[in-house]
Amino acid sequence: MLFALIIIYVVTLVYLAITDRFRNYASLIMLQGWVLFGVAILQLHAINWAELAFVLAETLVFKAIIVPYMLFNIIRKTGVARVHEGSVTGMNSLLMFITGLLVSAGIAYYIADTTVNVVFFAVALYAVLCGLILITTHKRIFSHLIGFLVIENGVFLFSLAVGVEMPMLVNIAMMLDILMSVLMLGVFFSKLGERIRNLTSDELTSLKD
Amino acid sequence: MLYIYLILALLSLALVFNAKSRKSVNAWAALFYAVQAGAAGWAITVDFGQTVWHYMTFDYLGVLFHGLTAIISPIVFFQSRSYLDTENVRQYRLYNIGLIGLCMAVTGVYYANNAAVSWIFLEATTLATALLVYHRRTVRSLEATWKYVFVSSVGVAVAYLGILMLSTAVTGEESLSYTQLMSSMASANPLYMKLAFLLILTGYSCKMEIFPLYTVGVDANHASPSPASALISTALVNAGFVAFFRVYQVLAVSDIYEWIKSVLLITGVLSVLIAAVYLRRTHNYKRFLTYSTVENLGIVMIGLGLGGWGVFAALFHLTIHSLIKSGMFLQMAQVGRIFRSYRMNRIGAYLNIYRLGAIVMLMGTVGLLAFPPSGLFISELIVLKELIAGRHWVVLTLFVLLICLVIFTLCRRFIGMLLRPVNTAVADMGSVNRTATWLHFALIFTALLLGIVQPQKFIDFIHAITVGL
Repeated sequence: MLFALIIIYVVTLVYLAITDRFRNYASLIMLQGWVLFGVAILQLHAINWAELAFVLAETLVFKAIIVPYMLFNIIRKTGVARVHEGSVTGMNSLLMFITGLLVSAGIAYYIADTTVNVVFFAVALYAVLCGLILITTHKRIFSHLIGFLVIENGVFLFSLAVGVEMPMLVNIAMMLDILMSVLMLGVFFSKLGERIRNLTSDELTSLKD
Repeated sequence: MLYIYLILALLSLALVFNAKSRKSVNAWAALFYAVQAGAAGWAITVDFGQTVWHYMTFDYLGVLFHGLTAIISPIVFFQSRSYLDTENVRQYRLYNIGLIGLCMAVTGVYYANNAAVSWIFLEATTLATALLVYHRRTVRSLEATWKYVFVSSVGVAVAYLGILMLSTAVTGEESLSYTQLMSSMASANPLYMKLAFLLILTGYSCKMEIFPLYTVGVDANHASPSPASALISTALVNAGFVAFFRVYQVLAVSDIYEWIKSVLLITGVLSVLIAAVYLRRTHNYKRFLTYSTVENLGIVMIGLGLGGWGVFAALFHLTIHSLIKSGMFLQMAQVGRIFRSYRMNRIGAYLNIYRLGAIVMLMGTVGLLAFPPSGLFISELIVLKELIAGRHWVVLTLFVLLICLVIFTLCRRFIGMLLRPVNTAVADMGSVNRTATWLHFALIFTALLLGIVQPQKFIDFIHAITVGL
């Protein structure tokens, strides 16, 4: 079951490479939230109930419901539906994502030892790489935000790879991270949307030397 | 003490939040800075060395930087009162909430004895700084805020990955306490430690304003009100440094210490290189001062990369830099008010327009140039000596060349500000605050004085931090 969830998670990452509609991006982030919720249930059953409730709340409530809801809200408000024409093509993007997958698998195989779950580690690393690829190859700020959320999910998965005995502090840290993403989504994104019509990074150039 | 500090700080924050007039905002904010100063004094004298609430320790490193923040922040607050005299109550209130929030968050970073707790407080600094950067509500400030929040969040997430990796490197260690991590370093996986170090260095570089994520700091300082920039360039940069330095201390007892030192030497040289290039390119004095911060933090990284006396030089350099840079940024706020711009081509003849301010600028320039009697002269001399002693000839050559370039640029720009003829009719002297200028003078004078006389207690304090390095 766990392995199946991880495969679904990888598929969502690969699908991010080929899709160019923002609604699909938001749906994939929602799906990732549900997958992480499932992974958290299966992985963290041994820890105490308080921590379990904490982790489940942040995956289910925040990652799977609130964040995707806000993403759909932004799409509706701004009316921006697709990635910028200047972004890399689907084929090239797919090639980059697959290369990222191979690199992640290679690194994980090379460095993993008994303290780390190799599969989790490889997928978490892949998620971080995918997020960085999205941020660097796309022009629209919405894509950058998706990239950030993908990195966040990757970090969460990595914390699961490290071990099941996650201290409460790690959970609090992750909650704060999610708070940051919600802040970005809710406050600043709506303000950027008001002032910058097409929401591309090319328009964020008023700060110069 | 921490209970009292937290209660009073939160109380003053709540009172500022509910204040209905500028006068009451000032009164409650002043209460916070009094509490902040009192807490620093209490931490040095009474609670020193103690661990409270399991996650906070009042050690030498924390107390040093808390003390600096307690000195700089009230001056920032004092000047903000006149600098933001046209703001409405709501804006002024939010600005003060940002300042107080930043002070509280950095204090948490200074005393945190656990990697996750340091990380949490650093993340909190992003929220507080965002409030300050967005203060003007202009397209420029919005852009800077977006970039700051976005890049800082990605950077800090990367650092968090590093912290998780560090805990993985230490088999069987569930706590992220620096002391426990340090005690388990002998059995740690070197490859994981190297990865953890690279991730943490990259992530925290956005707070320390060094290569590679230095750009967000430059933009944040550009867009935020100048008094706030004084706090961002010192207290926040110091917080990033403290969080990083504690990881450095942990890894200094491991087998990869020599490798870490090499990485830091490269990072330091790259930071100085970037600063040297952009100091020449920029046409805005606020960005100019921020690139100077990048240069100085680059020197600090080189100091850490040398180890031994280099670490002493790094801490000494950072302390002196905080005093000079806060004084310079605060004086720059006056310059900005007088000329209604920070563009270099619009500013000049400052010596004729406002002599006391020009003297402060001149003293600050001498300080930043690391010319005697600047305290930075001592730290840079130690760094040079250690580079020669360690036979780091390539780094030494690059360092000397780049520092010469920085000195040339700093001289040219600041002499231009003081002497270059401009239309003095545009200067608005009505906004000058002479009391604030004397406070800037005091900050920079202290930095210069520490270059001539170093009290033994101060030296012992820094030595105590560097024990074992």
